[in-house]
Amino acid sequence: MLVLRHFEQRAKPMTHGNSRVISVDGLARVEGEGSLHVHVADGVVTDVALSIFEPPRFFEALLIGRSYLEAPDITSRICGICPVAYQLSACAATEDACGVSPDGRVAALRRLLYCGEWIQSHALHVYLLHAPDFLGCADAVELAQRDRAAVERGLRLKRTGNLIMETVGGRAIHPVNVRVGGFYRAPSIEEIRALAEPLRRARDDALATLEWVAAFDFPTVEGDYRFVALRAMEGYPIESGRVVSSSGLDVTPGEFDGLVIETHVAHSTALQARLDGEPYLTGPLARYALNADRLPSIAREAARAGGLGDVCRNPFQSIVVRAVELVFACDEALRLVTAYEPPVPPAWEVPPLEGTGFGATEAPRGLLLHRFVLAHDGTIVSARIVPPTSQNQLTIEADLKRVVESSLDLSDAELTSLCEQAVRNHDPCISCAAHFLDLSMERQ
Amino acid sequence: MSARIVIAGIGSEYRRDDGAGPAVAERLAASSLGVGDVGPLGEPLDLLGRWDDADLAIIVDAVRSGAAPGTIELLDLNDDGTRPGGIASALTSTHGIGAIGALRIARAVGHAPRRVVVVAIEGAEFGAGIGLSPAVARAVDIATARVIQLVEASR
Repeated sequence: MLVLRHFEQRAKPMTHGNSRVISVDGLARVEGEGSLHVHVADGVVTDVALSIFEPPRFFEALLIGRSYLEAPDITSRICGICPVAYQLSACAATEDACGVSPDGRVAALRRLLYCGEWIQSHALHVYLLHAPDFLGCADAVELAQRDRAAVERGLRLKRTGNLIMETVGGRAIHPVNVRVGGFYRAPSIEEIRALAEPLRRARDDALATLEWVAAFDFPTVEGDYRFVALRAMEGYPIESGRVVSSSGLDVTPGEFDGLVIETHVAHSTALQARLDGEPYLTGPLARYALNADRLPSIAREAARAGGLGDVCRNPFQSIVVRAVELVFACDEALRLVTAYEPPVPPAWEVPPLEGTGFGATEAPRGLLLHRFVLAHDGTIVSARIVPPTSQNQLTIEADLKRVVESSLDLSDAELTSLCEQAVRNHDPCISCAAHFLDLSMERQ
Repeated sequence: MSARIVIAGIGSEYRRDDGAGPAVAERLAASSLGVGDVGPLGEPLDLLGRWDDADLAIIVDAVRSGAAPGTIELLDLNDDGTRPGGIASALTSTHGIGAIGALRIARAVGHAPRRVVVVAIEGAEFGAGIGLSPAVARAVDIATARVIQLVEASR
């Protein structure tokens, strides 16, 4: 939807005696809509609230009464940026309920499709949403005017991701080739091998991206994060695995579902997730911290060259970790393209079975959990979708509190900008959890 | 050589009238229009790469401007991505960077379409849900016809 307005959406700092209020009508470069409120009294941050306005469980309600075979298509419409994540979590949950676990060539093709989504999503965030923060640019347009070559490199990467999604998924936006059990049609060897050359170029572009972002100046901030991510039997996690944490958790997606408690809070219509009562963080920082040893050597070496250890707790350096994952995703996609053999048939048979199934995959922004309860004929009786952003919401609030407390000497405008950046560090897709972000800050 | 034309309907059919753009795109894709690059888009930034160097890009999107629901307006964007007359310097979008931002980026890197026309359909209801409001549903047919006229006039 376009909105015709006669003003620019920008920060509006205001000072009222000892009370200072900063508001942003729309926080730019974040997917979706919501608002952020920070209250500072006597130099202490007393309240931080990331508010999200939208009935977040609309799609869960929509699934009830529909066939399990429809779940991938319906859930793919939740997010325009990461439809594959929703499709493949939905497939995993329905297949789990039906006692089927497609592997081999179907699993490899799914992983390739998911690599396409990682590449396009990370390229979008790194170049068009996040990099302008570090380079003093108001937005990606200004960045493109100042450094056309960099933005062209980012767009080239994004196009390669989209190309994979079009080739495997049928189209880049809301791919139509994914179905429960596998695919409607397996691409030919020639179609898949044609991706090799663009992917070689993309891998070089990803390495250049890492070199570019590693040279940015980063605020010295570290979060005391509880990381949660998938860990697979082998390889860096994307489409399957157990759920592990930096505090020793190691459970199945089904067991994880039982441990994650979501609650409503007054300031948000989205649910806030806690694991054993505590906030936690999913996404690139968590994946990297829990799986750095699983990266291929090209990505590991690039990470080291970019100044990263095996764990990164500086949220502002998440852009470097995303660049490492770009290198990984391009390299992994190239490996899968080279080894590709079409699955025959393109989909496994998945007859309906009464029961409960769980599916967890790694969306670009973090862990995405689906739980479906199916009736004997495959009708969906209940659904639970836990998107990355609602899992990260409390940690983003904690980050904001930390950032504001350490930067109270900044002007309202500077502090507002830093808050926006702190939110963008985690690439929240609020449209998955809800919609549109406004920011207001009170100082007393 | 015939003109290269790209048509995209932006929005989500699960946000009521925000589905107007995709509804028009689906109608056009099923028509005998003969334009290959037609489709719904949830993310306007995906216009980048898709519309590079096209002769004409037609963007169909729901709009909220205060006009009567179902009102259709054609916005022929000039070189800097703003409407003639100036008010569209404030053309904002709920789709992240938005179509206008995408156009400005495309111009900055030198691959923008030669002409961009936004077919704006005034919506009434943008909450979660399926189905266009009656006035917008009627407008989809008219908007589809307007797009066909645009395409035929550009050939």
